Amino acid sequence: MTATRRRGGLGTPALVVPFGAVGLLFLLLPTAALLIRTPWGSLGAIYRDEHVWTALRISLTSSLEATAASLLFGVPLAWMLARMQVPGIGVARAVVTIPLVLPPVIGGVALFNGLGLRGILGGPIHTVLGRDLPFSFPGIVLAQIFVAMPFVVITVEGAFRIADRGVEEAAATLGASRSRIFLTVTLPLVFPAIVAGAMLCWARALGEFGATLLFGGNVTGSTQTLPTLVLSVFQRDPAQAPALALPLMAVAVLVLLALRDKWLRPVAS
Amino acid sequence: MTALAVDGTARVGGFELAVAFEAAPGEVVAVLGPNGAGKSTLLRVVAGLLGVHAGVVRLGEQVLDDPARGRFVAPQQRRVGVVFQDHRLFPHLRVLDNVAFGLRARGISSRESRAVARSWLTRLGLTDLAERRPAQLSGGQAQRVALARALASGPNALLLDEPLAALDVQTRAEVQGELREHLRAFAGPTVLVTHDPIEALLLSHRIVVLERGHVVQTGSPAQITTRPLTPYVARLVGMNLYIGAAEGDSVRIDGGGTIVAADAPTGRVLAAVRPSAITVHTEAPHGSSARNIWPVTITSLAPLGDRIRVNTSGELAATVDVTAAAVADLELTPGRPVWLSAKATDVSAYPAP
Repeated sequence: MTATRRRGGLGTPALVVPFGAVGLLFLLLPTAALLIRTPWGSLGAIYRDEHVWTALRISLTSSLEATAASLLFGVPLAWMLARMQVPGIGVARAVVTIPLVLPPVIGGVALFNGLGLRGILGGPIHTVLGRDLPFSFPGIVLAQIFVAMPFVVITVEGAFRIADRGVEEAAATLGASRSRIFLTVTLPLVFPAIVAGAMLCWARALGEFGATLLFGGNVTGSTQTLPTLVLSVFQRDPAQAPALALPLMAVAVLVLLALRDKWLRPVAS
Repeated sequence: MTALAVDGTARVGGFELAVAFEAAPGEVVAVLGPNGAGKSTLLRVVAGLLGVHAGVVRLGEQVLDDPARGRFVAPQQRRVGVVFQDHRLFPHLRVLDNVAFGLRARGISSRESRAVARSWLTRLGLTDLAERRPAQLSGGQAQRVALARALASGPNALLLDEPLAALDVQTRAEVQGELREHLRAFAGPTVLVTHDPIEALLLSHRIVVLERGHVVQTGSPAQITTRPLTPYVARLVGMNLYIGAAEGDSVRIDGGGTIVAADAPTGRVLAAVRPSAITVHTEAPHGSSARNIWPVTITSLAPLGDRIRVNTSGELAATVDVTAAAVADLELTPGRPVWLSAKATDVSAYPAP
């Protein structure tokens, strides 16, 4: 027992270190380059541009609305996937993961064919709303919900699955209705997972590019978000692009900090 | 008033529970059995967390479960308070709100619920803990809060699952006495499931012994301890139990050997002997008044309180309690052949079930 615990027997194998180090450097270098190449001197001029602020505002409002909608529909969906034992629930779970594995640009194409002007629901939507969804602000919100809601569903589903059913039973014996148990016992129990899911969802919605570009267009002042603005700027003046990456990187750091308990610790500690 | 009556079968996986028993208002019935006997299943059936497969569960006039008539009352409507073994307090609520939860669930205003909850906390000596979260409670405190929560909801019957099992020895002793008082004060029927005979003996009026999903013995604590009906019950209460056929005052034991009992009925009988009623001799005793004298071999010795418990093997294997001094004087060691003796008046013989 003690012999096998010696470092010589179970220490770090020499093989893993160089490969691991290269992997880490590869992830670090481009990110560091962004900061190094940011034109700090002309930052003032770039951020005085009104388009940047408009894009930033559209990005923030659309991603927050998308996150709110993802919570409203995603949390109940997560409960269904975790607790309902009906045929086809496995298929439903697969449906939720589709946007995760689908290239976002294909998501945009899918939204066009589903909700666009000539899409399957395009006619009814036009009749009800009196307008079309593509190239509109609601359109980019929908595009973000499509790609980001699965993060809420999957994170919260896991929490519903492992949440202590015992306390739910206790609540039932105390006379609490099914809805009351859900609202006053189960939801508070999974609240940390809801926060984590919302953070991931928001980060994903804020960074969403492919589906937003296709379904929302890149219309300055109405559907141009920060990521799609980066595309326009990069095509026109690549040297300015790193400056626009700063708010998005700040969000990434923020999310990482908020979820550090969940992610920066080894899984099986 | 509201008596609890269960008569039915319930199935969980391949396990079947088939029981019939009643608990009168104010009566504390302990359901005693080994792990896997179906105690928790029984508790879930009464609480409404599991339906019976066949039969009836009744609380007072109300039929709670009767599949033949398509009747099943949900746990929410049963008014059966449950104290779970793992307490199952709501981790996100203060102790006060845990106790008020049942009242809130029944539509009572937040202010009134908290007032009632406070009065229960006072009654159970928990006032100081009102603002704490369950994670800040000790095992004994959590157990009391769970009891307060169940009682505050105004139940018509009370169920307790191994109420003392999760507590350390010190806390058990503290909680035991007060739990007994609170259970005595409760007006409805109480069912307490446990695998611990001490818990059953101390807290209940009547004991129902459950083995492999069936009731094997029902009786007062005194009846269970003096006349165990199965080897399991005998082991629980620390009795030597033999089964055989009585002829006159001697009982021919099934595995061989004969035991003389003072008042043996005829036919199939059980003979029970307390371990402390048996005497150990290193040589065959002569001129003894004991009517039962038989040889055995010591298999093991283990301390038990201020005594030493001696286990033996042989035709009439028995467990004997002796003093530590006796072990030293007689040089009792495992493997040593010895003689045992017991008076006929110390053997209690009664009809086998």
